[in-house]
Amino acid sequence: MSLLEIRGLCVRFGGLTAVSRVDLDVEEGALVALIGPNGAGKTTAFNVITGVYAPSEGSVRFAGREIGGVAPHTICSLGVARTFQNIRLFRSLSALENVRAALQGAKRSGTGDMLRLAGWRRREAAAETEARALLDELALGSFASARADSLPYGEQRRLEIARALATRPKLLLLDEPAAGMNPAEKQALRELVRRLRADRGLTIVLIDHDVSFVMNLSDRVAVLDHGEKIADGAPEVVRRDPHVIEAYLGSDGEAPA
Amino acid sequence: MENLLQQLLNGITWGSIYALVALGYTMVYGVLKLINFAHGEVYMVGAMTGYYAAHALGLTQAPSLGALVLVLLISMAACALLGALIERVAYRPLRAAGRLAPLITAIGVSLLLQNAGQLVFGADPKFFPALLRSEEVIRAGGVAVSNIQLTVLVTALVLMAGLQYVVRRTRFGRAMRAVSYDAPAAALMGVPVDRVILGTFVLGSMLAAAAGILVGLSNPKIDPLMGLMPGLKAFVAAVLGGIGSVPGAMVGGLLLGVIETFVTAYLSSTYRDAIAFVILVVILLLRPTGLFGAPQTEKV
Amino acid sequence: MRARSLLWLGVAIAFLVFLDVAAPRLLNPYYVTILSRIGIAVIAAVSLQLVNGFTGQFSIGHAGFMAIGAYASAALSVFAGAAVLAAAAQVVPLPVARLAYFPVALVFGGLVAAVAGIVVAVPALRLRGDYLAIATLGAGEIIRIAILNIDAVGGARGFSLASPEYPSIDLRYESLAGVFGVALIAIAAISRLVYAGGGLAFRAVREDETAAESIGIATTRVKVEAFLIASFFAGVAGALFAHSEGYIHTNTFGFVRSFELVAFVVLGGLGSLSGAILAAATLTALPEVLRGLGEWRMVLYSLLLIATMLLRPQGLLGQRELWPISRLKGGGG
Repeated sequence: MSLLEIRGLCVRFGGLTAVSRVDLDVEEGALVALIGPNGAGKTTAFNVITGVYAPSEGSVRFAGREIGGVAPHTICSLGVARTFQNIRLFRSLSALENVRAALQGAKRSGTGDMLRLAGWRRREAAAETEARALLDELALGSFASARADSLPYGEQRRLEIARALATRPKLLLLDEPAAGMNPAEKQALRELVRRLRADRGLTIVLIDHDVSFVMNLSDRVAVLDHGEKIADGAPEVVRRDPHVIEAYLGSDGEAPA
Repeated sequence: MENLLQQLLNGITWGSIYALVALGYTMVYGVLKLINFAHGEVYMVGAMTGYYAAHALGLTQAPSLGALVLVLLISMAACALLGALIERVAYRPLRAAGRLAPLITAIGVSLLLQNAGQLVFGADPKFFPALLRSEEVIRAGGVAVSNIQLTVLVTALVLMAGLQYVVRRTRFGRAMRAVSYDAPAAALMGVPVDRVILGTFVLGSMLAAAAGILVGLSNPKIDPLMGLMPGLKAFVAAVLGGIGSVPGAMVGGLLLGVIETFVTAYLSSTYRDAIAFVILVVILLLRPTGLFGAPQTEKV
Repeated sequence: MRARSLLWLGVAIAFLVFLDVAAPRLLNPYYVTILSRIGIAVIAAVSLQLVNGFTGQFSIGHAGFMAIGAYASAALSVFAGAAVLAAAAQVVPLPVARLAYFPVALVFGGLVAAVAGIVVAVPALRLRGDYLAIATLGAGEIIRIAILNIDAVGGARGFSLASPEYPSIDLRYESLAGVFGVALIAIAAISRLVYAGGGLAFRAVREDETAAESIGIATTRVKVEAFLIASFFAGVAGALFAHSEGYIHTNTFGFVRSFELVAFVVLGGLGSLSGAILAAATLTALPEVLRGLGEWRMVLYSLLLIATMLLRPQGLLGQRELWPISRLKGGGG
């Protein structure tokens, strides 16, 4: 059984079909790339997996459990975390606070915080330590007190990843994590993703426009075009698939590198 | 049966006044996505201006249709200026400041006008001069229509028809609709967005002024706080019809007037003011975009 | 409890005792009343700050909850409290009985308001932005008009805090210690709530609801929680108001009052408890101090609001806190 199993997924918005009859399997520990031209439905697929949209048809199963239409915060507690295409950090909060906010999630207790019963201080300190450790691990330690929106662009993307990691996910969805990065930053990101997968045993699905970025990184590549899956397999095979080439040629005239 | 029709007539009369004010709310929301809380006060200034104009021009002793029209025009002009002033000074600087700051400023302007009004006009109620002699005009099937009611209805209808014409058939109206669909795109297409917004305020304020005069005619007691409740209710009417939709504001206003009148007549009069808010809450829960509004989705 | 917390508690108690004992002797009753009103305004303002400033939900009908707290506690006192006090006075001295009773009345007012808070919040919080604002405005008005139509609590005549069966029992509670004690509790509770690690959930909801959901925060629950706590404290503020004034009328709790509270929170800085406290205190005291200005007060007030939004929209303190609340906020933001 795959960790993530999508069968016959259709997502419709009024008259527009964003995703059409998509099947996808992601095994535990795998690193799958989801690529395709603009508007292919990749982010919509992520949004369905994380509960932002409900499927119009089809099923999404995570660790054997149906999560189609389940609330996003519940899906997160089951072990799915994500980053966003347009970076959605908590902008006026510090980097540390962004990560810290993700640590407790649903387990917080308002009364516990107001009354500060036994062990409160200890738990707070432990959480702060964990948050700092996570920042350090992602080379963001020096930015801990800085406002999230004051961080340089690449650091903001890494911070979003740090925040997602704080929820201790089994499955990590990265939506265009390399967008706007220069080649050196992309290389560093590639290393980071490999490391996260190796150290934490994470399963990762990653969307990106930059086909060369994903080619060296992923076990498998799935290609969406106009909401349909047109290819799914090893990177070298997909790269040569005529349908894939046509999909990219059709949109920006360049074969995937 | 006659009573039903009578109440219906009363409801439509009140409703058309709500509609006139609601149009101002809805047009401004359409182009600016702003709830202009100060709009109710523009309506009040309209009534007050009419009062002072009528006295200044010595029209109080010579009721006639011509007097009414003159007072209407003066009041509409004054409020057009007021509306333009408010837009220019209080709202335009905040065009890029998000949704919250303009809303708070709008509340501030509303409070300012209420309290300044109390200072300038005096807090005591005044009596709007009878610009038309009140007489019963028609008696059909047991329903009595006074000439004042008829005047209110006809004036409101004419104004609404005029507005429809402007919105649907003129360049300005097209520009207004373009800005309410997509302001940045409209700007890129050469639409003078600033002037369109200013014009929208002017139009809405003129309608509110007319509503103030018509209310002065039918319910002569006016005071500086008279804009509060009707303002809120007209806003509810705009939401009911679908905020941002011009036909919606007209329908919403008429509907609110009729519902309010019926509930007051047949159920309870002490809850009159609450009806509008109950409708508001119901509409927001069932269909927040209102009768004529289109649902919006957020892109993630 | 740690030594430092005990020290704070000691200082607070000493301050409150001083207030109750010294203030009525040192100040003329008019100023005592102003101080009382300041305390009540502070409680209402910090409660609203939790919803508007920290959770980012724009609620503009908050006076409705104050009304509920005021009327519910007043009704309790008049219809039950007086009898209870009269009976208790047979056994213990009346002042002792009163001292034991009034917290009950206050908490009762808060709880009823909290229930109303949930009733309003659960449907209203499905809406966002402008729509939520007008829903809360509508709710506040419905509450006010509904109370206005309840004859048992006076209706349009207002409600006096005097029991017809026990006219000799004084139901008023004019203790500055009471008002400021509650204020300190409200400030401590809300600042602890918001500035704990878990309290980041409120600000996460404010900053970006979708992102907050994606990290496991149940945003609706957080919003309802904020509303619940805020309406509780607003209710207590209303109860304090009712018992110190001795007479209440729904006119005091209309949307002008709601807007005033919004002004406190915005002028102080959305997201700053210290700011809300300062603004509430200053703006409540100012009109009294400038009484000579007469009707110009409200005009100046509204001009101040407009000018602030045009010139300094972040308000006085933005999201910053002053000492001692800033200690709670800690580093990292």
